[in-house]
Amino acid sequence: MGALTRERDVREAYAAHSGELYGFAVRSLADAGLAEEAVQETFVRAWKAGDRFDPEIGSLRTWLFAILRNVVIDLGRARAARPRVADGGVEPSVEPLEQALLAWQVEEAMRRIGEDHRRVLLETHFRARPYSEVAEELGVPEGTIKSRVYYGLRALRVALEEMGYED
Amino acid sequence: MRTEGHRDWKLSLGAFALGDLPPDERAAVAAHLEGCAECRAELRSLEGVAALLPLADPDRIEAPAARPPADLGARIEAQIAAESAREGREKRRRRFRLGVGGAVATVVVAAVLALVILPVGGGENSPAQEVHFASVPKGISIDAKLEPHAYGTEIYMYVKGIRSGTLCRVFLRNESGRTFSAGSFRYRWGGDSEAQLSSALDLSQAAEIGVHAGGRTFTAPVDQATALVGGAGIDPA
Repeated sequence: MGALTRERDVREAYAAHSGELYGFAVRSLADAGLAEEAVQETFVRAWKAGDRFDPEIGSLRTWLFAILRNVVIDLGRARAARPRVADGGVEPSVEPLEQALLAWQVEEAMRRIGEDHRRVLLETHFRARPYSEVAEELGVPEGTIKSRVYYGLRALRVALEEMGYED
Repeated sequence: MRTEGHRDWKLSLGAFALGDLPPDERAAVAAHLEGCAECRAELRSLEGVAALLPLADPDRIEAPAARPPADLGARIEAQIAAESAREGREKRRRRFRLGVGGAVATVVVAAVLALVILPVGGGENSPAQEVHFASVPKGISIDAKLEPHAYGTEIYMYVKGIRSGTLCRVFLRNESGRTFSAGSFRYRWGGDSEAQLSSALDLSQAAEIGVHAGGRTFTAPVDQATALVGGAGIDPA
């Protein structure tokens, strides 16, 4: 896809990338309504600046995420300027935006790898359970847990690279 | 050095990178790494990913992925369509409201008076005139805007609903009834051209504006909103 100037281009871009953009918007804004607003604003800004998109320079996905990042900053500022009300709702995210984006990418990559690998990484690393315990629970040798950790990390790396991550 | 033993070492590198190995196993892997460049390279690659894991929240990983509401795409398309339409209007930038009805195309033409010998006037001080042609057949709308300038008058014609290709001749008449041609244009469906020409006739001298189109002539007074229907046969050309 070249410049994003036609309404049909926007429709195609939305079909391809809205899920991820929305996922990150929810993650960083901690508010579904604001996240919708952010995604809508992102595509409108992309359409307005569509003739400046150059696929030779970077992917459409990267470009859209760069726009969303700015939109999230703007919305975050607007929200900070409003007085807080005690609504009992979820506290907004306080992570710095770059870190929130990286965290969301790791979580998204974890969702994309195979279930066996994800399960083992979650139990052994995130929940700090001994390999032997997880092996017994899953009914596999402990060596299998170790190899799943290895292949899980490799798969995670590939998934992250697909999302534009570089060392 | 591709042996079964080597493969076993490699499979331990994930747990090594994450710091999960018991001390004795860790020491053994470290000893292997000393002499194996391939495993050292593999470890560096895994360590980069392992360093990112603490950023992730396991509860969020296991939660169902957030999906945008089904109608969000349609809302975005609607906003873009609205902004696109507004941009088009701003480009044409008119101070002048067209008549209602979007089904018919609109032609905007700036028609200019032909060069004729005219009395000198102080027209620049006259207010701009917006003229609506009231007595026209149903489905047709004709409006005009006349702007005074030091060199004469500019005329913007807004015509809707007549047959495509119709030749329209525009004229002004002064108070003594003399008719001055203001040039001609063809009405086109969906036309979106804009022309700005100039005229020597001073707006303060103009009493009436007329359009001759399709064998009929429509006129409207310049200084009041009451429209007149001129008789056929007034041919300004």
